[in-house]
Amino acid sequence: MTPQELKNSILQLAIQGKLVEQSPEEGTGEELYQQIQNEKQALIKAGKIKKEKPLPEITEDEVPFEIPEGWKWVRVANIWAILNGDRGKNYPAKSTLSHSGIPFISALNLDGKTVINDDNLLCLSETQYDKLGNGKLQQGDVVVCIRGSLGKHGRFPFEKGAIASSLVIMRSQLVLPILDDFLMLYLDAPLFFSEIKKYDNGTAQPNLAAKSFEQFLFPLPPLAEQKRIVAKIEELLPLIERYEKTWSRLEDFNKRFPVDMQKSILQMAIQGKLVEQRPEEGTGEELYKQIQAEKQALIKAGKVKKEKPLPEITEDEVPFEIPESWKWVRWGDLSESIQYGYNAPAQESGRIKMVRISDIQDGQVMWESVPYCEIAEQDIPTYLLSTNDILFARTGGTVGKSYLVKDVPEESIYAGYLIRTRYSSCLCPEYMKHFMESQLYWDQLHNGTIATAQPNCNGKTLSKMILPLPSLAEQKRIVARLEELLPLCERLK
Amino acid sequence: MANLSGFVKRLRDIMRNDAGINGDAQRIEQIAWMLFLKVYDAKEQDWEFDEEDYTSIIPDECRWANWAHDDRSGTAMTGERLLNFVNNTLFPTLKKLPVDASTPIKKAIVQTTFADANNYMKDGVLLRQVLNVIDELDLSDYEESHAFGEIYETILKELQSAGSAGEFYTPRAVTEFMAQMIRPQIGEKMADFACGTGGFLTSWLKELEKEVKSTEDRAAFGQSIYGIEKKQFPYMLCITNMLLHDLDVPQVFHDNSLLRDVLDYTADDQFDVILMNPPYGGSEKAEVKNHFPADLASSETADLFMSVIMYRLKDNGRAAVILPDGFLFGTDNAKINIKKKLLSEFNLHTIIRMPSSVFSPYTSITTNILFFDRTDPTKETWFYRLDMPEGYKHFSKTKPMKLEHFDPVIEWWNDRQPLNVDGFDKARCYTVEELSGDLGYNLDQCGFPHEEEEILAPMDLIQSYQEERASLNAEIDRVLAEITEKLGGAEL
Repeated sequence: MTPQELKNSILQLAIQGKLVEQSPEEGTGEELYQQIQNEKQALIKAGKIKKEKPLPEITEDEVPFEIPEGWKWVRVANIWAILNGDRGKNYPAKSTLSHSGIPFISALNLDGKTVINDDNLLCLSETQYDKLGNGKLQQGDVVVCIRGSLGKHGRFPFEKGAIASSLVIMRSQLVLPILDDFLMLYLDAPLFFSEIKKYDNGTAQPNLAAKSFEQFLFPLPPLAEQKRIVAKIEELLPLIERYEKTWSRLEDFNKRFPVDMQKSILQMAIQGKLVEQRPEEGTGEELYKQIQAEKQALIKAGKVKKEKPLPEITEDEVPFEIPESWKWVRWGDLSESIQYGYNAPAQESGRIKMVRISDIQDGQVMWESVPYCEIAEQDIPTYLLSTNDILFARTGGTVGKSYLVKDVPEESIYAGYLIRTRYSSCLCPEYMKHFMESQLYWDQLHNGTIATAQPNCNGKTLSKMILPLPSLAEQKRIVARLEELLPLCERLK
Repeated sequence: MANLSGFVKRLRDIMRNDAGINGDAQRIEQIAWMLFLKVYDAKEQDWEFDEEDYTSIIPDECRWANWAHDDRSGTAMTGERLLNFVNNTLFPTLKKLPVDASTPIKKAIVQTTFADANNYMKDGVLLRQVLNVIDELDLSDYEESHAFGEIYETILKELQSAGSAGEFYTPRAVTEFMAQMIRPQIGEKMADFACGTGGFLTSWLKELEKEVKSTEDRAAFGQSIYGIEKKQFPYMLCITNMLLHDLDVPQVFHDNSLLRDVLDYTADDQFDVILMNPPYGGSEKAEVKNHFPADLASSETADLFMSVIMYRLKDNGRAAVILPDGFLFGTDNAKINIKKKLLSEFNLHTIIRMPSSVFSPYTSITTNILFFDRTDPTKETWFYRLDMPEGYKHFSKTKPMKLEHFDPVIEWWNDRQPLNVDGFDKARCYTVEELSGDLGYNLDQCGFPHEEEEILAPMDLIQSYQEERASLNAEIDRVLAEITEKLGGAEL
C-alpha cells in the first residue's frame, strides 16, 4: 500500500461520512443547505451578487455512493461561486511580470495546501492589477486549476492577488471557514478526481470547463460534523507522514538489495569462496607459468609485442585473501595485447564494419546499426575483432564498461574509443568478464579518485590491474555457479 | 623439549597428503581429538601421581601410552592396523564409555568430548606420523605446557579462516579487552553460555591470575569459570583448552543454553560476571522460543541469548556482550521489548562500536560491545566508535587486530568526553529519555560514516536485509495500528 493509497482511502472515508459518527443534535446537511440558500437570496436581493441559473437536479444515477442520512448531496456551485480570471485584453503577458508586487498565481505556485512563495511566484504591478476585471483574490480564497494540472489546488494566503488563466476561485458567499477546510479535504479525495475524469474534455491538454466544475457533486455534512472530520484528519496526518517515511525507506531498501546481493555474490566468486578448491585441478601459479610460456613463444614468433615487465604485486596492493592455490596476477602479464581502436569516420558503406561504443547495448552488439568505414588493408589484422576478445569503453558515459565479444557475424574492427584486450585460450573468457564487473575492478579503475569522479580506463590502468587467478577448471566452475545465482538475484528486483 | 615452533606446520604438511582431510575445518577437527587425548593423558599422569586410588575411565588398550605412543621398538601400530584400531575400537569405546550423573566431571569429559567426534584420516601411515608429532609434546613440563597453550591458541585462531567454523572463535584481542574492562575479582564466578573454543574463559583466567595471591585464591580461581557450548567440535576444543590452562575440572558443559525456561532460573543459576559473543543469524523455532516469555520471544538466536543473560546476571553483576548492528538498530517487537528491559532493569553504561573486519575473514559485519550491570536503571549511555587504527585498511590473517588497538578506548574510558570527527559523532552520551523517546530504541548511534561501502558476504547481507526489513515492517505495522485505532475500527 503506497502512502498515497493510504491517504486516499482515509480521505474517501472522511467524505463518505464514515470517519466520525453522526450526531443528530448537530443538525443536517439539508438544514445547512437551506441556510446557505437563504443567505444567497438575501445577497441577491441586496444586489451584492448576481442571480444564478439554477443547476440541474441530482439524479439517483449520478450519486456515486451512499452518504449518511443527515448529509445532503449538493453541487459545488450550490455553495461556492466559481470565479474565472479576466482573460481579455488586459491579461498580462508573462514577460511583463516581475518578482515583486501583487502575486499573480498559476498552478505552478500551488502545493495542495497553500501558495509557495519562491522564485516561481510572479507578480503584477498595481497598474496591471487595477486593469483586471475579475479574478482578483481575497485572503483565504480556495483556488483550483482547471487547465493543465487539473485539480491542483491551494488556499491563497496573501492579502491581494490575481489568478492566471488556468485557475478558478471558489468563493463561498458566506464566511464559513470550516466549510473551506472541509472543501480542502474534498479536493484531495478520490471523489473529486473521479468527478474530474467524468467531465474532462481536454484532448491534448486536460481541460475542464468552469461550467462543468460548477456541477461537481459534493457531499454536505452539518457544520459541526465537518469540524470534527477536519480535526480527525489533523490527528491522522502525522501518522500518515510516518508511514510515508518508513515506506519510502523500505522501497529504497528493497531496490538496493538485489544489486547489493549481486555484488556480494560476485565478490565471493573472486575471493574463491563460491566453489570449493580441488587440488587435482592445479594451481593459479601453474596456469600463470603456462601462460607466460605461451606468451614467450608468441613473442619469439613475432606475433605479440614484448612489453616492459610489470612491477611485482606488493602486500599493500592485495585487498583480500585468496585460497592458497590461487595467485594474484596483473592483467598485463596475462594478456597478449591491449590495443586501442581504429579512428575513422562512420559511413553507411565501406571496406569493413566498425563497432563503436554506441553500438553495444545491454551486453549485445546491435549489428544492424554498426556502420562501415574505410581502412588500409594492411591495418585490418591489428583491429580485427574475434570471439572472446574483451572490449572496454575508454571514455564517455560508460567508461570502464566491458563487453565480451561472442559471435562476429560479419568481419569487423572496433572504433577508437574502445580498447580491445586479447588473452590466452587457457583463460576462461566468462570468468575474466565477471571479474571486470567486480568491485575490485572498479576500485582499481577509480584508483584513489573519489567515487563520483570518472574512472580511468586506459591501457596503463588495464595493464597494471591485479586480479585473483584460479586454475582454468575452477574458473569454469565459478562461472557455472555464477550463472545459476545471478539470475536469481534478478528475480529479487 | 619438542620443537614447538614447527609444530603446526609439520602437522599441516603431513595431513595435506591425506585424502580424507578436506579443508582447514576438518584438519583442525582431526587434530582436536588427538590433542585432547594427549593432553588428557598428561593430566591423568598427574592425577595418578597425586591420588592414591585413581582409576582411568579409559580402558587400558585405549589409553594413549598403549596405542598412540611409539617407543621406537618397532611395535607401534601403523598403517591399516592403526586405522582399523582407531575406527573400530578406539572411537566406539570412547563414545560408549559408561557415564552418568554421578561420574566426576574430569572423567565424564572423555565421553562427552568424543560423543560426536570423527576420524577423517584415511591413511594409517600418515596417521602414525601425526601421532608421533603430537606425542613429542612433553606437557608435564610446565614451560612446555604453557608454551603449548599459546600454540593451541594459534590453532584455534585458524578457525577464523576455516569457513563457517569461524563462528566459534572470537579474536583474542577482543576477549582480552573485555576481560580487562570487566575487572575480575577473586571469588567471583563468570559465565559464557555459548563459549565456543573458550576464548572468554581463558581471557578471564588470564586477567584473574594477576589477583591470585594465596592457595585459597588459587582454589577460587579454579572454580571461577562456567561455560556451555552446543556444538561438539568447539566443545572439545574448549575442554582441551581448559585442561591446558590447568583447570582439571572444567565447568564446561555440552548443552544448549536456550532450552531452559528463563523463568525457572533461581539465584543459584546466576553469575557475577557474564562475557559473551552469542551466535547471530540463527533462526530459532517455536520449541526453543517457548522457553521465553512471549514478549521477548524472538526467532533470532542472539536476541534470545540476551534474555538468558538478563535472567542469569546476579544483582550488582557485570556483563559485556558482543552484538551485531542488527541488534542496535532493530526495532521489531521482540527487540524493542528486550531493549526496554535492558534499559529499565540494567544500567547499560557503554556501547563500543567496533570496525568491520574484526572477525574477518569469517565475516565482515560490524559488531559492538555492550557493557551493562545489574545495579540501577539506565540513566545514560555512552557510545564510542573505535576507528580502524592508523595504517590499517582492514584486519586480515596477516594483519590481525591486537589488544593495543583498543588503547584509545581504554584512555577514553575513565575520563569520558564527547568527541566529533569530521562532523560525525565519535563519542557521545545519550540520556535514556532520548534513547527510548526520540530514537525509539534505535541504538545505532556514533556509527561508522559509510564512505567506503564494505561488501558483505551473501549470508551476512541477507541477514542484515531481513533485519532491516523486519524493523521497517514493524514500524509500518505500529503506525497502521495507531491509525486503525484512531479510525475506531472503521473499515478502510
